[in-house]
Amino acid sequence: MGEPAECLLPVVDDPDTGGFFAAAADGTLAILHCATCGAVLHMPRAFCQTCGGFDTQWRAVAPRGTVYSYTVVTHQVHPLFPAPYTIVLVELDALPGVRLVGHLDGRPQITIGQPVHADFERLADDTVLPRWSLAVA
Amino acid sequence: MTDPGSFSHRDKCAIAGIGATDFSRNSGRSDLTLATQAALAALDDAGLAASDIDGIVRCDMDTVWHTDLADSLGIPELTYWAEVGPGGVAPPAMVGQAVGAILSGQATCVLVFRELNGRSGRRYGLGRAGLGRVGGAGSYDEFFAPYGMVTPGQIFATMAQRHMYEYGTQPEHLGAIAVTCRERANANPRAQMHERILTMDDYLASRFISEPLRLFDFCLETDGAAAVIVTSADRARDLRQRPVLIRAVAQASIPNPQPGIQFPVLMRDCITELPGAAVSKTLYRRAGLGPDEIDVAQIYDCFTITVLMQLEDWGFCKKGEGGPFAASGAIGMDGAIPINTAGGHLSEGYIHGMNGILEGVRQIRGESTSQVPGAQNCLITATPLPPGSAMILGAA
Repeated sequence: MGEPAECLLPVVDDPDTGGFFAAAADGTLAILHCATCGAVLHMPRAFCQTCGGFDTQWRAVAPRGTVYSYTVVTHQVHPLFPAPYTIVLVELDALPGVRLVGHLDGRPQITIGQPVHADFERLADDTVLPRWSLAVA
Repeated sequence: MTDPGSFSHRDKCAIAGIGATDFSRNSGRSDLTLATQAALAALDDAGLAASDIDGIVRCDMDTVWHTDLADSLGIPELTYWAEVGPGGVAPPAMVGQAVGAILSGQATCVLVFRELNGRSGRRYGLGRAGLGRVGGAGSYDEFFAPYGMVTPGQIFATMAQRHMYEYGTQPEHLGAIAVTCRERANANPRAQMHERILTMDDYLASRFISEPLRLFDFCLETDGAAAVIVTSADRARDLRQRPVLIRAVAQASIPNPQPGIQFPVLMRDCITELPGAAVSKTLYRRAGLGPDEIDVAQIYDCFTITVLMQLEDWGFCKKGEGGPFAASGAIGMDGAIPINTAGGHLSEGYIHGMNGILEGVRQIRGESTSQVPGAQNCLITATPLPPGSAMILGAA
């Protein structure tokens, strides 16, 4: 109460994206699919342009990927993110072409193509975020 | 050429006047005053009065509304107004709205403006995230901001890193763009960086902001406004200035551009290409021109990497060769395609795409401080993120 937040919390109850965070709260990385034809809907939204349906399904995927790109932020612009830190753009092993963003503290040794994996971090009672880490070489 | 309807606006309208405020870090003036001053300068340049204006087009990120400006200037009656976005993608499309209004009889003389106190007011470089919950409502920020991705520069840095990986692009390639724009600003007394020399050594020694992008890969944050007046080519011939014809305008999106405000562009199939690849096809067709016939270009430069990718997208070099092309001197005054001849957003000022249009007009009039001799066709792009717009201005 009255304390400043120590991390930047996402909205977790959006009708299109809330399922991602609900799955994370269960320790699962989930990507939205069309329940009718199986097309991937990422970023998550309800309408499937492939089959015309609105029935969606969050499907668990292995929380593993590779670094597609990254940037080391050295100029701090947000009070909750002291520099330096590294933003990684991760491509999921299970769904080639599907990407998510992750945060790494500091300036780790990193290369495009390097394997990464996610675990889950509870930021608040109702908020869990997938947390990406570099796989140990 | 098999689509006559698509270029029926070719050379039918003109830019009859241009105006801008000074570009500064602290204007000390309201957004409305800035917009009014730019509009008055454009009217004076064209030899028109406020009562001649019957249409206004604004950018969706302007804080000044059509009626605000009409009221401020004393425009007796607007018969047309429009708003185009998103943000920096808008300016050529804003002129396109004016062209459409004029050719369809909804207006005869349209004022197109962009105003912002981009340094002393809201600074885009600080990003959008506050301390409260982020995302939702179609923004998709909830997938990015909690990880510290909060600014456009961080998006373009991630694109630049990938471009370096795929094509071997080097820091010196990006530096060539920064240095070239600075040299043009050094010749332009209106430019914020007019008196500040930038060498490649200075560039390479500058601090990183978001690697691989350095301080001088980022555009300026600027207080200022810019405006143009669009009318029919016939009417423009009777006005004060030599008319600058609008050869063609075009807007285009790409397949599956991704939703949201900006960050989801990193989910596109290819993050080393911008929508210029799509806009260029339509624009060149409508204008009946190709890249070889463009004498000078104002390439949207929120960041150096944005220019590098557009050099490829617009056909000035092959995909992946934007870096060596830029570093070869091709974008300098003696090169194949001189760019950003007033200094661009990187060194003149950041009026969110609008100052590039003003400089395009100056080139066709022969009035630039870095004039390309005999310039007949000037390309102006605003294709930083999906979607995009662009235009070609030409001599009568």
